[in-house]
Amino acid sequence: MIEIEHLTKHFGDLKAVDDVSLTVSKGEFFVILGPNAAGKTTTIKVMAGLMKPTSGSVRICGFDIGVSPIEARRRMAYVPDFPFLYDKLTPAEFFRFTGKLFGMEEAAMEAEAERLAKRFNLGEFLAKPIEGLSHGTKQRVAIVSALMHSPEVVVFDEPMVGLDPHHSRVLKDTLREQADAGVTVFVSTHQLSVAEEMADRIGIMHQGRLAAVGSHEELQAANRDSTLESIFLSLTNDDE
Amino acid sequence: MNDAKPIPHWRLLVGVNRTQSWRRLKSAVAQSRLHAFLMGLFVVGYAWLAYALFHKALQFTSSFPGLGPVLIERMMFLLFAFLFLLLLLSNVIINFTNLFRNKETQFLLSLPVPRQVVYRWKIFESGILASWAFLFLIAPLVAAYGATYNAPWHFYLVTPLFVALFVVLPAILGSWAALGLARWVDRRAFQVAAVLAVIVLIVAASSWLQPETVTDEMLETRVLDVVDRLLARTRFSLFPFLPSYWVSSGITQWVEGALMGTFFFGLVLLSHTLFFGYLALTRTGGFFYGALSAVNSRGGGTAAGWKFWKRKPALDQAAFAPRPLDRLARLLWWGRGDTRALIVKDIRTFWRDATQWGQSLILFGLLIAYIVNLRHFSHRLTSDFWIDLTSYLNLGACALNLATLTTRFVFPQISLEGKRIWIIGMAPLGMRRTLMAKFLFSTAVSMGVTMALVGASCAMLSIPPGRILYFTLTVGVMAFTLNALAVGLGAVYPNFREDNPSKIVSGFGGTLCLVLSFLYIIGMLSLMAATSRWAFGGSSVAVFWLGWVVFLGGSFLLGWLPLRAGIRKMASVEI
Repeated sequence: MIEIEHLTKHFGDLKAVDDVSLTVSKGEFFVILGPNAAGKTTTIKVMAGLMKPTSGSVRICGFDIGVSPIEARRRMAYVPDFPFLYDKLTPAEFFRFTGKLFGMEEAAMEAEAERLAKRFNLGEFLAKPIEGLSHGTKQRVAIVSALMHSPEVVVFDEPMVGLDPHHSRVLKDTLREQADAGVTVFVSTHQLSVAEEMADRIGIMHQGRLAAVGSHEELQAANRDSTLESIFLSLTNDDE
Repeated sequence: MNDAKPIPHWRLLVGVNRTQSWRRLKSAVAQSRLHAFLMGLFVVGYAWLAYALFHKALQFTSSFPGLGPVLIERMMFLLFAFLFLLLLLSNVIINFTNLFRNKETQFLLSLPVPRQVVYRWKIFESGILASWAFLFLIAPLVAAYGATYNAPWHFYLVTPLFVALFVVLPAILGSWAALGLARWVDRRAFQVAAVLAVIVLIVAASSWLQPETVTDEMLETRVLDVVDRLLARTRFSLFPFLPSYWVSSGITQWVEGALMGTFFFGLVLLSHTLFFGYLALTRTGGFFYGALSAVNSRGGGTAAGWKFWKRKPALDQAAFAPRPLDRLARLLWWGRGDTRALIVKDIRTFWRDATQWGQSLILFGLLIAYIVNLRHFSHRLTSDFWIDLTSYLNLGACALNLATLTTRFVFPQISLEGKRIWIIGMAPLGMRRTLMAKFLFSTAVSMGVTMALVGASCAMLSIPPGRILYFTLTVGVMAFTLNALAVGLGAVYPNFREDNPSKIVSGFGGTLCLVLSFLYIIGMLSLMAATSRWAFGGSSVAVFWLGWVVFLGGSFLLGWLPLRAGIRKMASVEI
């Protein structure tokens, strides 16, 4: 469960996130949309504990990320828009490293890594140095390493970038299964189709504020628009 | 997940980074065995040559009865005092980039790794990066010191222990300074503060280094008193609260056989290292996170306390209007527009990265303070020998300073393009012209600055105009070679994965560039002094011109060959 309360984040004079409050329940698939510089990545970075909020708070599974960061992160899987990987390691070594950082048992670690690697078709790359892998393959390595410790909350920033249609499908299915199994999924994306297809609820951010939150149907009803695209454009149009 | 079992974060981080480093080394060796062999040869060659030279010099100095040991002891104190200062500066800069601009730091902080562990790991990594080269450079001198005094075998075991304890202190203090800078000072504030600090440094050094009045009578009758007075300006290195004092006292007393004294200073050093180490390793993680958050939250804005010089951002069309730098570049750079744009981009990038130019300011500040003080020194020089010696050493000092700057700032230029290299690579500009533009620009700037500095220092020494021309031309040629060497080797050994210039310079290419630059300067300086028309006995006209021909030919070759190799490498680089 993710609880965001009156979250505000300033960069100097710029208000990147402006009094955002949101609760994403256990087992909910939440997709956050918004134009560039809407504040999505900043919100996610505060959720991941990479920066302090100017005011407000974020709780992951009841743990305040500012007060109990270790407990919160232990329950979370976070993949940024440009994930860091140790380029001289192989994916198998990297999975082992992150698994151990999460305190996983040897057997569970191996089983989960093998299962997810198989699912994301990483088998042939497991023993190759990460530096030689393609962008999409690196993205899959980052996703597997994030998911293997069985998180209760998944926070992914633009996870589809670099993935081919096949692996985008695999990721979407995996995340849906995670949500169905009770994991809270929070994904930021620019692909409206992902939100339409996958999300239980959609949030649209604009200029640091949550302009709208609700299921696809609720957003349609509230905005009297048929498609998510037209809703998105009308809510994020600066000219009006 | 196992909540009960403690996670060995530190061991995991050491393990994964050890694997990374080992594989990097293996792939570097596998890429070119010849380069690896040359690197090994340089390491051994430097250690041997430096040891031989230092040993000879120390033996010569110690041969002066009474005076020798005093001078050598003071030299050891000065060595460690300046080492402390340099390590401190180096640690501030490397910690800043490693703690706040490093992707691994961000990655680790998003995992359930305590902030304290991340901070601990990063200061450990920065400490090693900041210290290894300095330690490698001074090791032959310390060994030569031991050999000069026939130190027992255990001297060579105890000294590394002392030095190992010693380097921890600047590593910790440097990281704290970096945290403070990151937390409270933004880029613009730092730029202003650094310029002011350098001005204060120059003024303070100029007024502090006043000449001592020594009469001929004093020179004949009270030599030790005179030496003591001349050494008065180095007394700061004897300040007992300096960590460098503890380490130098420990080492010198061990050589003298005063083992209890060494034991005492060893304990002083150990207690401070443990105290500050404990604070850094267990109590600074929270502050680190606050500083990191402050850096990430700055977003180009100005911190609250520094708003009085904030520039209003340009809006809409005004943002595209040429800025003063663009106009200046159009006036000064007559080449094509694309190369001018590249130069303007390089200047802006350099200026906006405070850690880059902060270091060059320090180097130039020290050099200016030195040159300003030469005017006092010249009054004391009555013999031609000393004037000649000083003028050549002066040329050497300026050239070595230039070599430091070219290695530190020019060498990483191509690597720093990093993942953005495709922008230049795909542009009609081409890699050849990119390289030549970088070379010509850095040469023009460094040539102007060093020729002016050498000219000024010669004038301070009251050298005749003809010789001033000789020295300024010599350093001008050296500027050409050193820049060509740095640009060329920077292109031959690029590191597009690294954003941190300090780490780029620490690699094989950077080390090779520094060693070749130093060897070139020492070789050419010796050649020019030996073939001088007037100095050290004077040579014939033929020998003088032969010296110039060899100097020009050698300089051209040492500059052109790496530059050509760099151009070829860049022409075939796979982006």
